[in-house]
Amino acid sequence: MDAAAPRPKENMGEPLPRVDARLKVTGQAHYPADLPTANIAYGALATSSIAKGKVAKLRLDEARAVPGLLDIVTYGDMDKVDKPKFGNSGATSIGPLHDRTIFHDGQIVALAVAETFEAAEEAARLIRAEYEEEKPTATFDSPGTATIPAAGKSPLFKEDVKAGDFDAAYADAAVKIDQRYSTPTQHHNPIELFSTTAYWEGDQLIVHEPSQNVTGWKVELARQLRIDPAKVRIVSPFIGGAFGSKGPMTPRTAIVAVAAKRLGRPVRCVTSRMQAFGTQTYRAETRHRIRIGAGKDGRITAFAHEGWEVTSRPDAYVVGGTSATGRMYDYGSVLTHVSLVQADRNTPGYMRSPPETPYVYALENAMDEMAVALGMDPVEFRRINEPKAEPIGKKPFSSRSLIQCYDQAAEAFGWADRDPKVGAMRDGDWLVGIGCATAIYPTAVAPCAARVRLTVDGDVRLQCGSHEIGTGVRTVAGQMASERLGVSIEKISVEIGDSSLPPAPVSGGSISTASVCSAVLMACDAIRTKLYAAATAEGGPLAGSHNEEFELAGGKILAKSGASAKVGDVLKAMQVGAIEEYAEFAPKGATPEALKKLYAGTPEFHGGEQDEDSVKYAFGAEFVEVRINRYTREIRVPRIVGAFAAGRIMNTRTARSQLMGGMIWGIGQALHEATEVDRRYARYVNRDLQDYLVPVNADIKDLQVILVPEVDHAVNPAGVKGLGELGNVGTAAAVASAVYHATGRRIRDLPIRIEQLLV
Amino acid sequence: MRPFVYEQPADISAAVATASRFTTNDDQPTRANAQFIAGGTNLADYMKLGVAEPNRLLDLNRLKESGLRQIRVTDDGIRFGALVRMGEAADHRDVTERYPVIADSLRLAASGQIRNMASLAGNILQRTRCEYFRETSWQCNKRVPGSGCAAMEGVNRQHAVLGASDACIATYHGDFAQALIALDAVVHAEGSRGARKMPFAKLHRQPGDTPHIETDLVADEIITAIEVPAIPWARRSLYLKIRDRESYAFALASAAVALDLDGETVREARIALGGVATVPWRASAAEQSLQGKKLDEASAEAAADAAFAQARPRQHNAFKIELGKRTLVRALLETRDMKV
Amino acid sequence: MSQPSVASNNGFSRRRFMAGTVSAAAAPLLASTAQAEAPVIPQTKLRQPVVTSLRINEQPYELSLDTRTSLLDALRDHAGLTGTKKGCDHGQCGACTVLVDGKRVLSCLSFAVMNEGKDITTVEGLASSDGKLHPMQQAFIDHDAFQCGYCTPGQILSAIGCVNEGHAESENDIREYMSGNICRCAAYPNIVAAILQARDETKGA
Repeated sequence: MDAAAPRPKENMGEPLPRVDARLKVTGQAHYPADLPTANIAYGALATSSIAKGKVAKLRLDEARAVPGLLDIVTYGDMDKVDKPKFGNSGATSIGPLHDRTIFHDGQIVALAVAETFEAAEEAARLIRAEYEEEKPTATFDSPGTATIPAAGKSPLFKEDVKAGDFDAAYADAAVKIDQRYSTPTQHHNPIELFSTTAYWEGDQLIVHEPSQNVTGWKVELARQLRIDPAKVRIVSPFIGGAFGSKGPMTPRTAIVAVAAKRLGRPVRCVTSRMQAFGTQTYRAETRHRIRIGAGKDGRITAFAHEGWEVTSRPDAYVVGGTSATGRMYDYGSVLTHVSLVQADRNTPGYMRSPPETPYVYALENAMDEMAVALGMDPVEFRRINEPKAEPIGKKPFSSRSLIQCYDQAAEAFGWADRDPKVGAMRDGDWLVGIGCATAIYPTAVAPCAARVRLTVDGDVRLQCGSHEIGTGVRTVAGQMASERLGVSIEKISVEIGDSSLPPAPVSGGSISTASVCSAVLMACDAIRTKLYAAATAEGGPLAGSHNEEFELAGGKILAKSGASAKVGDVLKAMQVGAIEEYAEFAPKGATPEALKKLYAGTPEFHGGEQDEDSVKYAFGAEFVEVRINRYTREIRVPRIVGAFAAGRIMNTRTARSQLMGGMIWGIGQALHEATEVDRRYARYVNRDLQDYLVPVNADIKDLQVILVPEVDHAVNPAGVKGLGELGNVGTAAAVASAVYHATGRRIRDLPIRIEQLLV
Repeated sequence: MRPFVYEQPADISAAVATASRFTTNDDQPTRANAQFIAGGTNLADYMKLGVAEPNRLLDLNRLKESGLRQIRVTDDGIRFGALVRMGEAADHRDVTERYPVIADSLRLAASGQIRNMASLAGNILQRTRCEYFRETSWQCNKRVPGSGCAAMEGVNRQHAVLGASDACIATYHGDFAQALIALDAVVHAEGSRGARKMPFAKLHRQPGDTPHIETDLVADEIITAIEVPAIPWARRSLYLKIRDRESYAFALASAAVALDLDGETVREARIALGGVATVPWRASAAEQSLQGKKLDEASAEAAADAAFAQARPRQHNAFKIELGKRTLVRALLETRDMKV
Repeated sequence: MSQPSVASNNGFSRRRFMAGTVSAAAAPLLASTAQAEAPVIPQTKLRQPVVTSLRINEQPYELSLDTRTSLLDALRDHAGLTGTKKGCDHGQCGACTVLVDGKRVLSCLSFAVMNEGKDITTVEGLASSDGKLHPMQQAFIDHDAFQCGYCTPGQILSAIGCVNEGHAESENDIREYMSGNICRCAAYPNIVAAILQARDETKGA
């Protein structure tokens, strides 16, 4: 069978091809900057070349002289617009054109608008700034940082978790480690460039922009522009990769909307690849200190994880991965503390598994070190410390299939054949190492609305303001409707990516499949109930089959008794052309305001560590083989196996692809990805795809994804755990483990590069 | 990007005449108002970045001289027309068989698409990819003479340890050039002062105090061909490129090696280094150290030490000295072990 | 006269004014002196649009273009063919790959005017008129060789070029010769499988 379409196991859906696949391979999938817009004017940004200070003067004369220039939006032009707010819908509180203060490198200074892209770009380059410049603070160890506790700074990070008496347990431990780890600044670099196209129809604003959060943006943009959210529409039918970068709206959106209003015509601004590094969010660099103490039997008795994270001056973005690492194993005692380090940088933000990628990397690298210190097989070490309940609140896991993942991945990888001795495995001039690590990601779910319409002809229209960022949400939502309504997928049209549709939460945090499918399930079940009631009503085709189990299949209602009725006939009997249901799903534990908050663009997240009854996570285990040339020390990963359990798998094809992509991301995290900061100026240096390296095709050879069956009814009605972010958690630690195995060198600072292995 | 006038000269003399009319003898080709374009992979990039700002582009792709598009093998060697694309040369049977080091250097450069676009002459003239050069808001002596060098004390992991000066440490990132300089290639050029040829080693200039002067060419000169002499033993040659990822990345260190062996003894060695120097770098001292010696790990290491004896590291690129040495050792041993 | 805004020898703490460029801006210092010696080009000529004839997907197009317009922008903004994607605009990602006279190239690094009279194939020109997909398109669907789909048109055109060039003989060949097309969703193993399938189908045909 084709590797791309794994045969479904228990609790897994069919590997249907993506319903939007044809659009994507024919160039007919319209990403926001592709949407046809008449009479368009082009915008180009001018951005600051300093990281701290003030723009004393802006000289626009040369730019204004460019033929075709229409307008320049700059200081003073945003006075009737409110500043952005930092939060789930807003990337930063910095209103770049609201005052002349420069908070970071690459801050927007002006938007030039012209008849052509070429003229706009030319004009933007000719905008000259005179700065009143101050010495900026770049990052950790730079003079001028301020360090503050992270707990309570973000609604998602309320406290530093702890349990038991760490100090005493650590002091008593027979075997212990105390190590420091670090991860660099990283930028999402989706291949689609960031863009905004805005136009006004009377007092109605339409914005085409790649967004993971159309509802949140609608509300936030309306707030900034001081207009009714009903007058704003965000359109984003396809998104060319997001990974968190298109979750919060950036200040550019309102600036382009203002430009469109001033000109009275549509304005499109496509940000250059270079400018994206300063105008969008990024993964904060982090540092970690981890202490683990254990008995000689390998049982952990003490675990401490301290983290430090760089953020901007005005906004306290918290990475905060200790809530997951603190619950990973049966530690005995736990101590955690997270600090924010403020510097003159743009505000960081969510990037694929935001807390877990750096924090679990540190934890799992430390676990591998601990296994070495104990002289224990690293898989066995994890098995020994497998918890019955999480160590902080002593709550059970709603489901936890980590050991099954380890067993299946180890088997497929051939872990048993490993010679544990460092440097023992060689292939000619290549040092071979193998290693493993745990993947974990919290399973959350949020309120979501959906509208489903079933017509007399058996066609289904499904509407939900979710987002296609590559996850295949059209396909899995369609599959859910197909299953509940007994209609083949070809008969289902799915409309998403528009704020005029029923609201869905941000497509982030791996919540979309669970949230959207739960809402679709609700709407479909309401249709089923109506259909069945009509069918079994007096005079209906199934009269008398009351209170009986039934199925919907092939356009028919099938009663257990064997009686059946065509759905179309039931609708005709109801004297309607269609049944339409609007469902508002709110997860278990939702507050009374939950739905209101969904419409306000600030949906509640439930699950993860927050629920009373249990903690909810998806787990996986990853094994990698590295090869390192004995002379030149370049590091390659020719083989990687991951096994993952994530509740119900809606579609094994899209699930495998997401996990595969995550694992390759993990390889990139391990070996390539780093945004270099020039510490003197607090400026990014490698702001392009020439020097910001991500894996290319030749870097990936043998990759295997194993989907481990798991049933979990506690997580949400759909039984689905998210997996879009699970795959790239732990990978970097597995690579570090393999590098150690090959060379005896323990690399703790990412990315792992040639120079760390030469000496 | 500044606006420009676009012209398609019909032949070499028309191209030279037009260039001559819009440039002066003092203009550096990279800074002149009129500049030549062929594949455009380097120039279009730098025009978009505002690094190159010609207001007249002379497109060489329609020049009528057919030799510009041909690879010809003669008794004297191989002659590459300047407009031959990298991809074509990399796959050319005479190149892959007679000069593996050339084929490797082309095949391991850039990407399939870029190799289909980029001309051979344009490739050897490609300008540094130093990020401080690429982004016009940084200080850069190469881009704006006398403005300073932000890379010197900045993020300089990619930068050169050989051939650098106090004014510039930008790396020459090409690959093909290493093969050419190792094989004593000759460059043919035509300009308003006539046709001339020069050893490849004379084409590029080390930065010194004038890093904005990158080559020996004047603004109205066109490279017309590159000739590589017949070297029967060049069948024993290769190009080894070490980089952070497996493909589509610039070299952290590379070595072009060709060996004339008598058994295991070196009659003659040709060595050039890439990724570590400001210009295509012939490692003559390393070549000499191997002459007449048995090629083994020890003699290879001695040659590598000789090659990097003058290397000067900066903060983040010191590893390139060790990596460069090991790259050369590995390349020498792999070349020795080639089955030819 | 503008200066690079990052000159720092005097330290930053002192309050001072810097005449600087913003980061998008070039600093044409010497260029302006050089210009003084060269003949002055009248602005009208400098900015005159050039009528460019392209044959795109077997259809003739006559476009009036700024000389600066890249082939990519000509396709997207002037010919209305938005299937070709802009991912970096600097030849670093491969999303803009099209076939020019049958060869895969990066449309972002080619000025449109340089392509006068050439045959351009974009993703819109691959399926036959009855809607039957090109084998490479179908193979990409079969093997789920994309996620977000943004790099996909470039991947597909590059894959067709790769097969035509004879650089799809082995999986390793395909990986190497497809490395100019970055897929940030990282569908690489599926892309390789798709190319193998399409290669064999087109060989058999």
